[in-house]
Amino acid sequence: MFYREAGQFKTSYEKDQALFPIRQDKIGLGVILLIAFVVIPLTANDFFLASIMIPFLVFSLAAIGLNVLTGFCGQLSLGTGAFMGVGAYAAYKLTTIFPDVNVILLVLTSGIFSAIVGAIFGLPSLRIKGLYLAVTTLAAQFFLEWCFIRIGWLYNYNASGAIEIPTREMLGVVISGAEATPLARYFVVLSITVVIAFLISNVLRGRIGRSWMMIRDMDIAAELMGIRPLQTKLMAFAVSSYICGVAGAMMVFFWLNAAEPSSYSITLSFQILFMVILGGLGSVGGAFMGAAFIWILPIVLRAIPSMLGVDIGAETVEHLAFMVIGALIIFFLIVEPHGFARLWQIAKQKLRVWPFPY
Amino acid sequence: MNAYVGAEKLPVAGDPEREELLRVDNVSLSFGGVKAITDISFDILKGEIRAIIGPNGAGKTSMLNVINGFYHPQEGTITWQGKVRRKMKPYEAASQGIARTFQNVALFKGMTTLDNIMSGRSLKMHKNFFWQLLWRGPAEREEIEHRRKVEDIIDFLEIQAIRKTPVGRLPYGLQKRVELGRALAMEPDLLLLDEPMAGMNLEEKEDMSRFIIDVNQEFGTTIALIEHDMGVVMDLSDRVVVLDYGKKIADGPPEEVQASQAVIDAYLGVSH
Repeated sequence: MFYREAGQFKTSYEKDQALFPIRQDKIGLGVILLIAFVVIPLTANDFFLASIMIPFLVFSLAAIGLNVLTGFCGQLSLGTGAFMGVGAYAAYKLTTIFPDVNVILLVLTSGIFSAIVGAIFGLPSLRIKGLYLAVTTLAAQFFLEWCFIRIGWLYNYNASGAIEIPTREMLGVVISGAEATPLARYFVVLSITVVIAFLISNVLRGRIGRSWMMIRDMDIAAELMGIRPLQTKLMAFAVSSYICGVAGAMMVFFWLNAAEPSSYSITLSFQILFMVILGGLGSVGGAFMGAAFIWILPIVLRAIPSMLGVDIGAETVEHLAFMVIGALIIFFLIVEPHGFARLWQIAKQKLRVWPFPY
Repeated sequence: MNAYVGAEKLPVAGDPEREELLRVDNVSLSFGGVKAITDISFDILKGEIRAIIGPNGAGKTSMLNVINGFYHPQEGTITWQGKVRRKMKPYEAASQGIARTFQNVALFKGMTTLDNIMSGRSLKMHKNFFWQLLWRGPAEREEIEHRRKVEDIIDFLEIQAIRKTPVGRLPYGLQKRVELGRALAMEPDLLLLDEPMAGMNLEEKEDMSRFIIDVNQEFGTTIALIEHDMGVVMDLSDRVVVLDYGKKIADGPPEEVQASQAVIDAYLGVSH
């Protein structure tokens, strides 16, 4: 009843191919952005910003990155964690070498290094497909992690072997390092995530996005229509790794403050992959939903017993949360293998014809 | 069967005015010990509908795969628009103006009808990654310019209603039609159709035949098609090549081929 596009006529192709062709969707997005940029900063406390929103946004961006590669181009990758690590270490080295340059600029530049590394590890994708490709990207994961541990130059030969983020200011506000307020970091992370999500959506609806989907759906037909498989796949690897690299750099600069090689381990790769699968392969919005499910839900579940006044041990709560999440993942994948994005589509379709079944 | 054809056939066979678009000379293709094609020569003239027929396993699809660069013949040459073609990749054939449809539909299942047909325009779109990032401006203008062409094709094929439907959900007959649309979007010089009417009912066959004739006569596209429905083949095509066990057994106008004893033997079998 409320969600219906009746009466919204498109009079130009321009309007018909907009990112959000339906007016209610545009209003919905506006409301979400308003909440993100105004309501949350005004109302939320530091814990909510630093432990929930910032990681959620960082993971969302990483999930968008992996989605470009796996969801849109159909190339399965288990190297996400390592590509994020490349971004983080590159950004760290860049701040060491250029201490006066704006840190946001360096974070965005660090993605380029990650893109190059990603494209190199994407080379086998011309010959290898599916799960076998996943195994070759696993090699990237282990090799790069080894580099983060063994190459001292990467962490400036710190005794701890970890990278620690120096304090950096922008327009007189501290935005990175231990002294930065969660609010300042939140705004930086939110802005970068929103801008990249918007830009990549543009790419995905145009010629390049289509060429990725062509490779994903039927690579032989794509080739017979003039798509060069190697170039197209490598571009997907590069763009995906760029986004993951920026997410990885944001992870250490605006969230963790310090990172060890183990922060970018295979566990992180799997975590991002689960977000993408649960959220919905081939959907930018789904990446946000998947990240919210994997990151925010456990925190909420852990908070429930203390809110209800039930007195059980912290470890028990932790284990219970694990079990509930696991069960929910199975439940959602059975209900809708195409993830939350598809569930949301179905819900919208139902709303459109409500109160009738079809 | 003449009900298919509304328009009069233009005399093509033996017309000395027509230029040669593609010429296959003594092509042989084998996979290990299996000889798929043996020493086949024929030509395709500009503007004609050329049928390739033959019993199952005769090498028809292999022939199409050779023409669009998917297989590389061990012997023989292929001359495209007067130039001998070197060994090349399928995407190069596409950029030279050869488009095709597949025997078993090879659409991009996760994409909408519109996106599938738009994908046929890929080679004609050039705005680079950074314009695509911005969208507003050149990338959007290019998209709209090609969208207009695609909408013409959608109108032509009468598939307006399924524009935004993912093709995986469409019935088979419509999928075949979308696939034709995708090939047409490439504005090819030579259109290869691999069994365009396989598995269709009479009505769908009539529609498809009409589209093929319209494409040929209105856009002047040269068409090479493989088909098993002899009624369709004889009515549509200007000239027919008949293959059997990888060898050419007849070549000529439909009436001539129909009368050939070799063809009758190939289809009906012969006692040895």
